[in-house]
Amino acid sequence: MKRITMLLILIGLVLLVSLPVFAGGQNEAEAPAEETAVMEEGVGPTNSNPLSDLRVRQAIAYAIDMDTIAETMFDGMVLPATGRVPDGPMKAPGLNRYAYDPDKSRALLKAANWDPNYKLDLGYYYGDQMTVDLMTAIQAYLSDVGIKMSFRKLEGDVGAQLNSVPTDPANGPSAVEIDLGYGGHAALALQEYFNVYKTGKSAQYPSDPKMDALIDAINATADPVELKKALFEIEKYEVDNLAAYSLYYMPMFVYESIDLNRNGEIYGNPQYNYDWNIQNWTMKPESNGKMVLQTNGGPIEFFQNPWENPGIWISNKVLYDRLIACDGALTPTHGQMADYELSSDGMTLKFTMKDGVKWHDGAAVTVDDVQFSIEKIILAPTAHKVLLSTFNSIKGAEEFIAGTADHISGINTDGNTITIEMAKLDPNILLTFTQFAILPEKYLADADPLKMLQSPFFQHPVGSGPYKIGKVEMNDYLVMVPNEDYYDGVPKIDEIQCYPSFDSDPNVVKNATAGILDYGFSKNPSEVSSLRALDNIKLETVDVPYTRILWFYQYPKK
Amino acid sequence: MLTYTLRRLLILIPMLLFLSFLIYLGLELTPGDAVSYMISPERYATMDPAELEAVREALGLSDPFLIRYVKWLGGVIKGDFGYSLQSGVPIKDIVFDRLPATLELSAGAILISTIFGIFFGTISALKRGSIGDNALTLAGMLGVSVPRFIFGLLAILLFTFHLKWLPVGGRLRPGYEGFMDRLPHLIMPTLVLSSTLIAGVMRYSRASMLDAMNRDFMKTARSKGLPEWRVNFVHGLRVSLIPVIVLIAFRLPILLGGTVIIEQVFQWPGIGNEFIGAVRSRNYPIVMMIAFFTTFAVLFVSFLIDLFTALLDPRVKLD
Repeated sequence: MKRITMLLILIGLVLLVSLPVFAGGQNEAEAPAEETAVMEEGVGPTNSNPLSDLRVRQAIAYAIDMDTIAETMFDGMVLPATGRVPDGPMKAPGLNRYAYDPDKSRALLKAANWDPNYKLDLGYYYGDQMTVDLMTAIQAYLSDVGIKMSFRKLEGDVGAQLNSVPTDPANGPSAVEIDLGYGGHAALALQEYFNVYKTGKSAQYPSDPKMDALIDAINATADPVELKKALFEIEKYEVDNLAAYSLYYMPMFVYESIDLNRNGEIYGNPQYNYDWNIQNWTMKPESNGKMVLQTNGGPIEFFQNPWENPGIWISNKVLYDRLIACDGALTPTHGQMADYELSSDGMTLKFTMKDGVKWHDGAAVTVDDVQFSIEKIILAPTAHKVLLSTFNSIKGAEEFIAGTADHISGINTDGNTITIEMAKLDPNILLTFTQFAILPEKYLADADPLKMLQSPFFQHPVGSGPYKIGKVEMNDYLVMVPNEDYYDGVPKIDEIQCYPSFDSDPNVVKNATAGILDYGFSKNPSEVSSLRALDNIKLETVDVPYTRILWFYQYPKK
Repeated sequence: MLTYTLRRLLILIPMLLFLSFLIYLGLELTPGDAVSYMISPERYATMDPAELEAVREALGLSDPFLIRYVKWLGGVIKGDFGYSLQSGVPIKDIVFDRLPATLELSAGAILISTIFGIFFGTISALKRGSIGDNALTLAGMLGVSVPRFIFGLLAILLFTFHLKWLPVGGRLRPGYEGFMDRLPHLIMPTLVLSSTLIAGVMRYSRASMLDAMNRDFMKTARSKGLPEWRVNFVHGLRVSLIPVIVLIAFRLPILLGGTVIIEQVFQWPGIGNEFIGAVRSRNYPIVMMIAFFTTFAVLFVSFLIDLFTALLDPRVKLD
């Protein structure tokens, strides 16, 4: 009897818990609650622009079936996004996915009194067919719920057309013409994803004191636990408010010929520098016994500035070296050119140069070169913003930039050590030094930081990395040969030959098919599909923080 | 004759000035500038307008349009075409570095298309209405109407991937010492470029030859008892060549910038590729130099053709 009573109680409990599921599912029961909460708070348009109404932004998000797009159009190569930060330890839990729900979308539009004759203007800057297909799909999905949208590729001054910030960051009007924008964000540091919303920095998102406070929080700590908490909070706020709608995460595809052997060295984010130990890679020897690796990224008119794109170009990766090494996920691991010591409060960083680190011309790399490099990049406004953010936080940086000091007072050298004192904490200080190429003072002392690339140095650069320039025929090829003095071991591959081609360039597939491409990376799904079909090419998928986004321009229109 | 020559030469100057101004104006009206190309949209979002202005100032882009044009023109008159806004390399070095690649491609294509175009056009005219004439007419139509990049891709598919006879593209490779090393790379782009040019020359030659064949002097030649081959190839062909040569001559300067598609398909580092890259990056000194050079070449060749025609054809009076 007791057993039967227990059984009946158990069945009753199960039924009670299951009731919402049978009634339509827990997920659905939760989602409207959130939406209702938003509506109950009286969120409507905050200005004359309909996109300033959260319900309209939500309607757009619910109208797009990213699962189907990812599975069909992208052949499963991309992952539908939930928030800006890709999956991993720093990903906030419990975010609203805005899963495809056209009925909910229509209801939200109705609640927002959406004018069906209003036509949204979407701008994008990619030149590939896949983007056109995606825009067409989004246009169709929006049309299905009653939103008219046209799209166009932005030409010319794309930066200004996408990112011009209104003079009045609180009330606008918008300084751009478009209503929606489509683009990508490949973050070196996760803070980059959200710093763009800071008051006075965003072309899309009007000033928001709460967002500003959350941004301050993610930039105020280097402690991983605190940083994680702050990132969770800001990502949830961004998703709930749909400051922008993250569409999908794009992995990076590294392609290699079957003749290339990494000998166990790691894969990582190919757009940046990581400890890939190329000096240990080997190639199947040619008939003359020589190991030659052929790749793209050869210079057309000049070598790229490693302070703008630290690792996209293979020449920047192997010609220069950095003070700190990091793993494939860009987490700092150990000293590269120097041993380092970061104080417990994160405000003082001390480097001691390792013995035997030399420039390709045989001279030693000194702490003066490090100081020179920092004092040069800080005056170069086009340099990478994570790097600049760190250097701008050094004590005395402001005075140096203003021209009232000859040197940055927070940088001090003594023998083979260099100490950097910060005026304010920068959570990415170590990350910066994993990407920051040290350049030789003697060749660049007179270079104008506003037009660095015009320096003759970038016609034939001298670095301290594992490879040095062998021969350059601009726009034809670049040959890099091993740096026999490399302190971390002489590279085994005898020659790296680079030809002027890059990812999404139609020549990539042709060259790979013809067997003259042994290494490269791509984030172009159609290119990857073609490469996957080749017998002589192997592909490695690398998860990187790269998110494709739909931006909502929420300022009132002019 | 001398007065005419001098007058035509003098007219070239205002024409060049006017056209250079139009090109400069066109660039000015195109959205964006070199700075907007150099800086990624994401980076742009975080840059202060003053920083952008500082970069523009450093590159000499902040002056008003007319002042920049006059400065550029002043440089050209002194023989200084300026330097690339991106690399700082003198423009003349860039152009003269790329010019040989385009010239060898164009010269090869012109040579092949002239020989085969005239030959097939003449045969087609002489065998008018035959199967051969119809086949050549059809081939000519295809050559004119099918885009060059289709021919290029088909050629790569056949000769590189299938037969493995020729390299996929590029001009120079490490270790190449001389012309013979480069020759395999030159064959495919030259043949593809000439295939479309042959069609034009062939159709022109055919029409011109047919026209010549109906002229009185041909009848006179035949009535004198000259052999048919002599009537056709010595009397007919010579006269029919005049308009064909005019067509070919006009193609020479146009080919300097007209090989863009072929250069892109075959990764050929010529002027066309440079021009496209410069337009994209708003590198106006390079665009201006190439456009100016091509314009001058077209105008000058046009002048030479007028002179040449007058010398050959007594019906044309220069004054």
